[in-house]
Amino acid sequence: MRQLLAVAAGLAVLAASACSAPAPPRSDAVSAAPAGPATLPAPTGPHQVGTTALYLKDTSRPDPWNLDADARELKVTLWYPTKQHDGQRAPYMTPKESELLLKGTSIASAPYDTLSKTRTNAIKDAEPAGRKLPLVVLSPGFTKPMSTLTSLAEDLASRGYVVAGIDHTYESYATTFPDGRVAECLACDSNSDPGFGTGLIQGRAADVSFVLDQLPAKWDGSDRIDRSRIAMVGQSIGGSSAMATMLEDPRVRAGIDMDGTAYARIPKSGFSRPFMFLGSAEHVSGGPFPTWDRDWKLLTGWKRWIVLSGAEHQSFTDTPLLADALGIKPLPGVLPAARAAELTRTYVAAFLDQHLKSRRQPLLDKPSSRYPEAKFCPATCARS
Amino acid sequence: MTVVRIAAAGLALLLAAACTAPAPPRGEASTAGTVCAPPQGAPGPETVTTIDVIEQAYFCILGTYYSGATLDARSLLTAGFVALTQELNRNGRDLPEATMPALTGDRKADWTAFEAVYRKVTDQVPGLRDKLAIVTLEAIVAGLGDDHAGWTHDVKRPPDYYDGDGYGLGLQANVDDSQADGNLGVTLAPLFVTTVLGGAAQAAGLRAGDIIESINGSAPFIGGQATPAINALYPQYPEARPVKLRLLRQSTGRRWSVALQPGLAQRDLAALQVVRSKLLDDDVAYVRMTGFAPDSADRVLRAISRLRKGRTLSGVVLDLRGNSGGSPTEATRLLSAFVHGKVTAYHCTVDGTCATSRTDDTLELLGLPLTVLTDRSCASACEHFSSAVKDLRIGRLVGTRTAGVISGPAQAYLLSNNTLLSFPAQHHLGPNHEVIDRIGVPPDHYVPLTPKDAAAGRDPALTKALTLLHK
Repeated sequence: MRQLLAVAAGLAVLAASACSAPAPPRSDAVSAAPAGPATLPAPTGPHQVGTTALYLKDTSRPDPWNLDADARELKVTLWYPTKQHDGQRAPYMTPKESELLLKGTSIASAPYDTLSKTRTNAIKDAEPAGRKLPLVVLSPGFTKPMSTLTSLAEDLASRGYVVAGIDHTYESYATTFPDGRVAECLACDSNSDPGFGTGLIQGRAADVSFVLDQLPAKWDGSDRIDRSRIAMVGQSIGGSSAMATMLEDPRVRAGIDMDGTAYARIPKSGFSRPFMFLGSAEHVSGGPFPTWDRDWKLLTGWKRWIVLSGAEHQSFTDTPLLADALGIKPLPGVLPAARAAELTRTYVAAFLDQHLKSRRQPLLDKPSSRYPEAKFCPATCARS
Repeated sequence: MTVVRIAAAGLALLLAAACTAPAPPRGEASTAGTVCAPPQGAPGPETVTTIDVIEQAYFCILGTYYSGATLDARSLLTAGFVALTQELNRNGRDLPEATMPALTGDRKADWTAFEAVYRKVTDQVPGLRDKLAIVTLEAIVAGLGDDHAGWTHDVKRPPDYYDGDGYGLGLQANVDDSQADGNLGVTLAPLFVTTVLGGAAQAAGLRAGDIIESINGSAPFIGGQATPAINALYPQYPEARPVKLRLLRQSTGRRWSVALQPGLAQRDLAALQVVRSKLLDDDVAYVRMTGFAPDSADRVLRAISRLRKGRTLSGVVLDLRGNSGGSPTEATRLLSAFVHGKVTAYHCTVDGTCATSRTDDTLELLGLPLTVLTDRSCASACEHFSSAVKDLRIGRLVGTRTAGVISGPAQAYLLSNNTLLSFPAQHHLGPNHEVIDRIGVPPDHYVPLTPKDAAAGRDPALTKALTLLHK
């Protein structure tokens, strides 16, 4: 129910929330002429960014969605600092992935391959640089390919993080494997079942732990990772999966849930590792589905609950940045795409810098005049 | 009040699936009157129920309900007033002004007269005002005597709720919550536990097959007739008083009592899946379907074709026990994989004009023998499906008679205080133009579940279904 509100309040594009059921774009939100391909904003950190993809296979468990698959296959996209300046920029997604995502989201205002033309900043397969780099796992929203968090991933890599973004197979409209197979959204069959979210995040927690297990052996650059400094950030159900993962895997030291309804069951004894809720007005204190209120009381360590005025569910993803290219006009009152990206990058990086790099961030202590959109909950963001 | 419980359960399901949009009812939107319209998106926060809300509901019913155009509106107002006076009396606040106004049969004039007395009464008991509004509107809706008419209001979720949790004692009995709440006539003694779901029942060591001899000191059946005491088995949040059960375990002869505290309990996630399937005896596709949710027909068909891959199936067992219904569109879609060129149901207005639900003949026929498991909890769209299986000779029904809760496809209407009123604009008839509502669909093979079967984990209906397919 909540994403209907999100849609009404916000940008009616790629608007599926925690779990699909995409709303068709509102006709008044669609302009006639799509602009040219989107260009993701430049990363803000000092480093150049490289990217590469890994394909991992967990033979210890069957796939939770494809009953005919006796192993879980995962695509992991890595973003990392590099010294390389030149090289081919990595593709955003394949034309087929773009098509499946747009069709799945009922967007027909631009050619189906439009998103594959999106210009990224990371250099494909560049040589990694740096040492003792902290690691950030990224987990996208339901039905979304990992690439929809590229703007955040590139920015974090430019600031000196290794980012491991996971495409949770069959939970997205499109995941392409090296042999050309494209896994579609099998989980979309059952997303209205009660308990669906609870089951899904348990699977994602297992995905993340498996990726952390495998990374040293499967990526040449992994000796550059400081494995004592790992955090997880996710949007929508990917955010809820961050908590689910931390409850299962002590290697993940800190986490951020970006606008995700919380499904993970925190023990009554509480949870003491650093955690941040970063959300839209849907997640103010006392809202209609108060899962953050419920969990806030159980967070006993460092915690923040920040709601961005004018944000909607997709403000934490690339989606608003792609709207022009898709010929979709944002609804009035919603954060402009560039500002949404800036706020997301800034607050996520501040959290990670504080908890993985031990650099205190005054930005997280109180409201900032530079970012007046950020309201600190529950004290100053109650439902109006 | 089967009605209200079912509607509430429906909403609870929507709430439980917090990550999904409420599915717009498919293919059953009726022409909304001007006073009420289907909700567009999720309703906002509920506000208090006032006489204006009751008025909106009254005219919404008269304008849009199945027999709204022809029913005697005085019966609704009278039902509301009865409830109002009973509530006053229960609170020790009876009033000399609380007498029913004379009604003329003019719907507007009668409302005006009703409203005047209502205001006069409620103004004198401000502390009771909200409660009086609720009982009045509940009674008006109940006055329709329609099992698909309901008013969903004051839906609260426990603050510690997680997606998939259940609230209650943690058990399911052979009399389900919908029956316990007003459809007791369909129940059979003895009362026994069919499933331990978790929570208090699990902690107290209850098991399937345990016979419930008394509930809070009251007998569940007297002279073979079920009593309302059974309703206490299914407390709803925020009800939290412990429920005392006296139990008998037949296998050991043990008799004992437990007090079960209602609460939230984690449910088995696999059991919550609306569609589950497995291969039985190497050649039967068994598919259990707990509701006709959006896309569920295709899920069933995909499950069957997956089990069919690489082998020859001798048939399909579709387990619809406990299936609480859902979309008639899904029922017809699933039927379309078994038969073409047929009408699966008629939805008729009060003047006898019927819309036909026809099979979608573009769907590929499975060409497999079908056996359907039914029970007294198979309701609404489940009965639409079951009656068509029987009437159109698509397959055999095994188990017990269906619920008989299928007045017609309900549409929700948003009231001005963000509560939902729902009711059908048409009534449902089976493929032979027969009434299914309140009667149910009798199985071809009557195979009830006994406490002994439940205790031993036996499923005689499934055994019978497999025997039929292998004949």
